[in-house]
Amino acid sequence: MKRSSEGSFTRRSFLQTAGLVGIGSAVAAGTTNLLGLPPQLHSSEEKAIPTFCAMCGPSLGCGIYAIVKDGKLIRVEGMKESPLNRGRNCPKAHAAAQWVYSPQRLKYPLRRVGKRGEGKFEKISWEQAIDHIAAKLKEQKEKYGPESLAVLSPARRTYSGYMQRFLQAHGSPNYGHSGICMVEKTFVFGYTIGSATVGGPVPDYAKTNCLFIWGTQPIYSGSSKGQLKRLLDCKARGAKIIAIKPTMEPDVAIADIWVPIRPGTDAALALAMLNVIITEKLYDAAFVEEWTYGFDKLAAHVQKYTPEWAEPITGIPAQQTKDVARIYATTKHAAIDHGNGFEHAPSCNDAIRAVGALMAIAGHLDRPGGNLFPGKPPAATKPVELNEKITQGMIDKLVCPEFPKTLQPFIEGTSSAYNGLIESVLTGKPYPIRGIIAPGTQPTVSTRNPKGMVIEALKKVDFFAVVDVMRTAEMNYADIVLPVTTMYETDHPFEAGGNWVMARNKVIEPLGPYKSDYEFWIELAVKMGYGKDFWNGSLTECMNDQLSPLGITIDELRAKPNGIVYEMKPPVYEKYKQVFNSPSPRLSKAPYLPQGKVALYNTTFEELGMTPMPEWKEPPESSGRTPELLKKYPLTFSDFHTSKVYNAGWLRNVPYLREVMPDPTLQMNPKTAKARGIKDGDWVIVESIRGWLKFKADVNPGIRPDTVMALHGWYQGCGELAKSAFPILDGGANTNIMYSIDHKIAWDPAVTAMSSQTLVQVRKA
Amino acid sequence: MAKQMGFYIIAGRCVECHACEVACKELNNVALGIHWRKVQNHWDGEFPNPTNINMSSACMHCRKPACLEVCPTHAITKRAEDGIVVVNQSECIGCRACGSACPYGVPQYGHDSKMQKCNLCLERLENGKEPVCVSTCPGEALGFGPVEEFAKSAAGKLAVRLQGETEPSFFVVGSSIGPKPEVFIDTFFKRL
Repeated sequence: MKRSSEGSFTRRSFLQTAGLVGIGSAVAAGTTNLLGLPPQLHSSEEKAIPTFCAMCGPSLGCGIYAIVKDGKLIRVEGMKESPLNRGRNCPKAHAAAQWVYSPQRLKYPLRRVGKRGEGKFEKISWEQAIDHIAAKLKEQKEKYGPESLAVLSPARRTYSGYMQRFLQAHGSPNYGHSGICMVEKTFVFGYTIGSATVGGPVPDYAKTNCLFIWGTQPIYSGSSKGQLKRLLDCKARGAKIIAIKPTMEPDVAIADIWVPIRPGTDAALALAMLNVIITEKLYDAAFVEEWTYGFDKLAAHVQKYTPEWAEPITGIPAQQTKDVARIYATTKHAAIDHGNGFEHAPSCNDAIRAVGALMAIAGHLDRPGGNLFPGKPPAATKPVELNEKITQGMIDKLVCPEFPKTLQPFIEGTSSAYNGLIESVLTGKPYPIRGIIAPGTQPTVSTRNPKGMVIEALKKVDFFAVVDVMRTAEMNYADIVLPVTTMYETDHPFEAGGNWVMARNKVIEPLGPYKSDYEFWIELAVKMGYGKDFWNGSLTECMNDQLSPLGITIDELRAKPNGIVYEMKPPVYEKYKQVFNSPSPRLSKAPYLPQGKVALYNTTFEELGMTPMPEWKEPPESSGRTPELLKKYPLTFSDFHTSKVYNAGWLRNVPYLREVMPDPTLQMNPKTAKARGIKDGDWVIVESIRGWLKFKADVNPGIRPDTVMALHGWYQGCGELAKSAFPILDGGANTNIMYSIDHKIAWDPAVTAMSSQTLVQVRKA
Repeated sequence: MAKQMGFYIIAGRCVECHACEVACKELNNVALGIHWRKVQNHWDGEFPNPTNINMSSACMHCRKPACLEVCPTHAITKRAEDGIVVVNQSECIGCRACGSACPYGVPQYGHDSKMQKCNLCLERLENGKEPVCVSTCPGEALGFGPVEEFAKSAAGKLAVRLQGETEPSFFVVGSSIGPKPEVFIDTFFKRL
């Protein structure tokens, strides 16, 4: 009898012990179940279609068998053959049918006939819609130049590359990317430690003895994609878990040490940890000597950032800062799982640089159990972006560069800050964006919207098109609304990532006159005359082109129902010479690290007028910067970006998910609540200098008494549960109306990350 | 003693993700507001040292089901071959006596007023599959099987069986992640 590492039986061995071997092996054999049917089926009337879950958007989702009966999607079964989710799924996956058949689905292509915002449309055909958009874009290109068009990016989707490719063919650099999501980290880690890995160097869960969960949520973001299991297994193996986050989410609940940091102060904590490790000489002197640049300057620079200095900023007792710094530096295999939390503060780049410096000087870079530079994934396909089309002229025309122009393009191509290009419509500076396409993104809830600035811009912009599956928060301002298929209603594209590539299969016929996001971009490109760059409109050629590095065609891939799982190569460690000399994606291809060493002192940033070493920058409204506001607004407010059942601003209309989280809640400490006469479950009003929101109080001890937090993205109603939609502005629950957009104080100067912190007061509604 | 099937949970591996609950509803087409499986969360202590633990549970498939004993129409039965407690809806008159009798709040009532609850995915078991809550759980926290054999197994030796007059078929397995099984049981079942 085999014991699993946590001292209990694994499920499989339990099945064997439990005398269920017959059942277990029939399932494992994978051919038929006891009814003589494929194992996923309950009756001969059902069909099992292997594909990807699409409830996190069109992306490399978890592998599923979509079960269809009478042409209808009835349920989802996990795909055991998928190396990602191994047959397991999250609640979203199991609510797919309610999403696909939602009454909120867009029904037809629409053209606006009333005033902006009035919601009066006429029904048109898909072809008319494409014709209308193409005519408008051609007219604007002629009149104002191609840069007048912006496409707003949702969270990274498989179609993101098609959006870039379209803009590149059109000649516009203005891919609107939010400075809040992964790319900021990738960028700063790139220019600090040379790692071009998306999201930065990867924590080695399998071998670490000490795991820091810092500003991330490994449980909700990708629970079934193995992230939850690897965390639980890491803990069960005996690794120490240290969580640095403002609230006690379930991952914090299993941690050995909780560092309940004040939102937005990660840079201050990381600087203080550098101070401890350098002052106490706990660093890896040999690594520092051979592989870092500017250590002496950094050592002198962080002198002032003592744990005592950090205490009033981070809210973390100096002793705890010292403890965790010592544990990190002195544990042989220590890793940091770093998250998007860093990307929600004006000191974003400072926090990432300081964390990169911590990994480097502690000797945890690219060593077993530390943070690794993974090699090229075996299932790497050809990028969709046509980055070779980018010219200096295009870069010069960026309306609001997400990263400094001299450091563009970055991995996704050129980009402007999502919020900044919307702002240009209002300010006309340096020139106004004239046309906006929003595919799968809802700008009124997905970016900062104080005093309704996004709505004002959408009223004013010359042309606005929405491309989505479901009704969106701002579709009433659109000139054209194009309904697209869900990914259950289309057979493309394939998805590839890590060591897995699989074709997508159509589960059901489209429920309306829909085409896919991919068909939208390709058809529009052909209509615009960019067909040469868009496989002359052929999706088969498009997919074959992308699959070419793997030496297979889409037809060959389709013949394998679970795709191809490549063998992972054993990791190679300490690839410093190679990684620290990697070329950057700039036009010059100059290396990320000019000295070929970790940039503890960053000459690249210094040449651009930015600070050569990480510093501390207070959020725009905070006890440090605006103490005068504390009397009226004594609490720090921030928001979460992940939750167990929702994604960003969507899925609230799915009844099975809404039942789990029925109302927008404000997490608050019992002390904070009691002082205001608030009880768990009471409706409360949260006021800031910019507006007010309404939440249900979720009173629990897992949050700092000086901080309150809510989930972002609330506006949708859910008719089946008699929940009506919330206002986008005052009186709703849209956290994006609360924050500053003053670039000088609210934005990070290197990566346009925006502050998600402000000061508020809370009272009973 | 006849075979008795039951669920177990590994303390600490449940993170309140609700996958089990939603998968159960999806498979069984359970109406809104009705839960055959429930996820619970419990806070204790004070900042900065609070604790937060989670549990997922469904019907306990008791050896001496209180629901069965009080049912006036014998709509609730216990299967001889595996001890699974099932309800025959056509005989249920919706009197809700079972709801009052069950110490675990399991019986649920639909718009037709008839009792409904977890049947351990009988249809799937007969097809050679695991209950959907078990097979989808991303944390691998849930398991099921014949309880006598489980009790004798190595995992069973780390487990504590929930005690109660109805002899529930439910185990909490200890692990290095979560609280001790006794603490877990005390937290979620002490009021019973």
